[in-house]
Amino acid sequence: MLSRLRRNVNIFSVVSVIAAVLIVVPMLNIITEIFSTPTPAWIHIRDNLLRGYIVNTLILVGFVAVFSALLGLFGAYMVTRFEFKGRKLLSWFLILPLAMPSYIAAYAYADMFSYTGTIARFFRRLNLPIIINMMNMEGAIFIFTLTLFPYVYMLTRSALSKQSAAFSENARLLGANKIRTFMRVVLPLLRPALVAGTLLVVLETLNDYGVVAYYNVRVFSFAIFNTWENLGDTQAAIRLSGVLMLLVFAIIFIERMIRGKRQYSIHVKGRPIPRIPLKGWQRFVLPSILWIIMILAFFLPLAQLIYYATLTFTDVFNMGFIFLIINSLTLAITATLLTVIIALMLANYNRGTQNNFKKGLLKITNLGYAIPGAVIAIAVMIFFIDIDHALFPLYRLIDENSPRLVLSSTLIMLTFAFVLRFMAIGYNSIEASYDKVGTKFTEASYSLKASKLKTLLQVDIPMIKHGLISAAIIVFIDVIKELPLTLILRPTNYNTLASEVFRFAREEMLQESAVPALVLIFISSTLIYILTHYKKKEVPINVR
Amino acid sequence: MKKLWLFLSVSITVLMLNACTLGVNSSEDSITIFSERHYDTDQMLFDLFTEQTGIEVNVIDGNADQLINRLENEGEDTSADVLIIADAGRLHRAKSRDLLQPVESDTLFNNIPSNYRDADNYWFGLTKRARVLVYHPDRVDASELSTYEALTDTQFEGRIVTRTSTNIYNQSLMASFIEIMGEEAAKNFATGLVNNFARTPSGNDRDQAKAVVQGIADIAIMNTYYIGRMMNSSDSFEQEVADTVEVFFPNQETTGTHVNISAAGVTKHASNLEGAIQFIEFLSGEEAQSSFANANFEYPVNEAVEVHELLSSWGEFKAQDINLSVLGENSYQATIIMDEVGWE
Repeated sequence: MLSRLRRNVNIFSVVSVIAAVLIVVPMLNIITEIFSTPTPAWIHIRDNLLRGYIVNTLILVGFVAVFSALLGLFGAYMVTRFEFKGRKLLSWFLILPLAMPSYIAAYAYADMFSYTGTIARFFRRLNLPIIINMMNMEGAIFIFTLTLFPYVYMLTRSALSKQSAAFSENARLLGANKIRTFMRVVLPLLRPALVAGTLLVVLETLNDYGVVAYYNVRVFSFAIFNTWENLGDTQAAIRLSGVLMLLVFAIIFIERMIRGKRQYSIHVKGRPIPRIPLKGWQRFVLPSILWIIMILAFFLPLAQLIYYATLTFTDVFNMGFIFLIINSLTLAITATLLTVIIALMLANYNRGTQNNFKKGLLKITNLGYAIPGAVIAIAVMIFFIDIDHALFPLYRLIDENSPRLVLSSTLIMLTFAFVLRFMAIGYNSIEASYDKVGTKFTEASYSLKASKLKTLLQVDIPMIKHGLISAAIIVFIDVIKELPLTLILRPTNYNTLASEVFRFAREEMLQESAVPALVLIFISSTLIYILTHYKKKEVPINVR
Repeated sequence: MKKLWLFLSVSITVLMLNACTLGVNSSEDSITIFSERHYDTDQMLFDLFTEQTGIEVNVIDGNADQLINRLENEGEDTSADVLIIADAGRLHRAKSRDLLQPVESDTLFNNIPSNYRDADNYWFGLTKRARVLVYHPDRVDASELSTYEALTDTQFEGRIVTRTSTNIYNQSLMASFIEIMGEEAAKNFATGLVNNFARTPSGNDRDQAKAVVQGIADIAIMNTYYIGRMMNSSDSFEQEVADTVEVFFPNQETTGTHVNISAAGVTKHASNLEGAIQFIEFLSGEEAQSSFANANFEYPVNEAVEVHELLSSWGEFKAQDINLSVLGENSYQATIIMDEVGWE
């Protein structure tokens, strides 16, 4: 027994267990609330509103998932399988919409189509009697699809570029036509990446508050904030989060069930598929579709923001603004590094496992992403205040005049919340990479008596570098644009670009919010550029 | 392994940088305010306060509910000395959750009329705003307008816009009606109003004014200061919208126009009680009032202070004669009613 335990204690298991405990404990406060007696507010919600919330949430999430999966898959397939003018540019451009936070796109679009907006004015000048109201369910679906589809695109593209030509060629040799090959061979092999990407889109959509609040789309996150804030009933809000979590688990469970016990690891020498040049009408039409997506998702709102920034730049830009940038950068880098490292440990701990304890642990650590930011914020704050109370005697020992709240008035609390919240993102994209490379090389390394850490550094990390980089990009961008956690948990006088954008937008000063929004977009875009181009210098892995 | 060291050293550098950028606010004599307001002119005002008293002012901003929740969670360890919120209803909530303390100050009693401060002196109004009707003069004649209640009339079917029911200002409007006309009549009003909506509520107050100019609706219910802010917008097209519409103060012959305030209270566990009181007194004083109110085109509560010329151009008006504490007492019921009648 003891020896078995010793065998199981290694860097991966220790980090995984600690991470799981740290994530569960703050949530316990929340979970106990669910079992207390219902408040009148909850009864009101259950009787009058809950049905609408569920229906709206399913509509929003369903459409956004389908549309972004289609867009992401289409884009990834285009840039990996076909050759056309501008392909290289598009292959990284299509990630750029991730640099455009959904709430900023939502503000920009609502504004462009409002009476005074550029597009509405353009229509009027042309005497077109078109009035488009962005601020409804359709608008929200549009915004989420365009700003979130790159999650699907990135993961499927990375999987497609690693897919061996052998499968498709064999299928074609056996007489399957193009469509059949795609449906029966390419698509099933893409499944893990496609599902991971779509799941990210779904969870991001469920968590957003900026867009649904502004567009008044009554989904769960809206309901949770609304109950918490307007009815002032934390308990009913927590119950709603409980229902939301059930919904998320149902989605994940259904996916796992459909996937069943099938393994998607491919043990073949990877020979990339040669790209086919597009011919005839396809040469113009297909790339144009991609460009239109790019313009709608990125360049159009960007142009609007640049225009507003030119109006307000001089008012907004000052010394304090530079500190905002430094704050945002350092905070996001710290949180990203921590998240990716822990996610890597978790992924290693869980590779190819059938162990229920491990699986359970993993589910717990990935829970954070299914819980709305506001709920995590409350949970983490209560948790840190408890820790501070427990550690107070220690603080006094070090410094006699120490205040009681030490940890909870530092960035540690906010960073912790980010790691908790974004663990699933890092983990999912690392897991998808591991699924792709299989366990052969790692097992070979272990059998050659290499330590776990050495194997990780010299075998696994080089193989999944791509996945790690993707994970880092996504987490970084998510952290730098995240709102509810930042707003609630940041220390005194600590502002970030995102909190500044939100502040201006809340004050209905959209023109002023353009400057911090642009910097945020610029940082994220630059990062996407560097990381997408960095991989070219990467030494090819010799898999033979 | 080399890479690992490089990676570690980079991480440590980032962490240290992180620690350095943390706010430095350990000044001996300072106060911390949790504020829902955050205008650049406010900062100048705070600097002036520091200059006069030597007390540093730290600001944490956030929306009302987040600040209240934070105050509640931090309990007696809170760093906050003053809470500033732009809604009487939410201040009442802070009071009823035992987060504020009463203040006895003759300066405040003199500067602030009694219906704009808490009956038990837990909070003090600093600026006022009216929730009025904004209409398009081509499609509506001022003589057609009279009261909020009249908007439920069939002649206004499909002609009215306002924000969502989750908006604090609409909740307080409903809360005041519950007080003035009773729950039953307030519910009838809400039902009638929802029937006359031109669209499902969406957007902010500025969007309501735009909808009126655009022709989606003819009348918007919105706060006065947004007109002022649109007139001074950096976007010239917003200025045009504000210039096009007209403002109407409803219920002048009857119960008065709905007024809400932004107000401040001293937190129950304020560590710098004296500084906190001094600060609120400073904000209610003549010197600070005009800047504090004008920053947002609001009416100063201190009657000795002149209102902004834009506001004075609309003339004087009769406000609802209620103590604003009731906005808080009725806000929960108001939300329930709006949900029940399908005000989205």
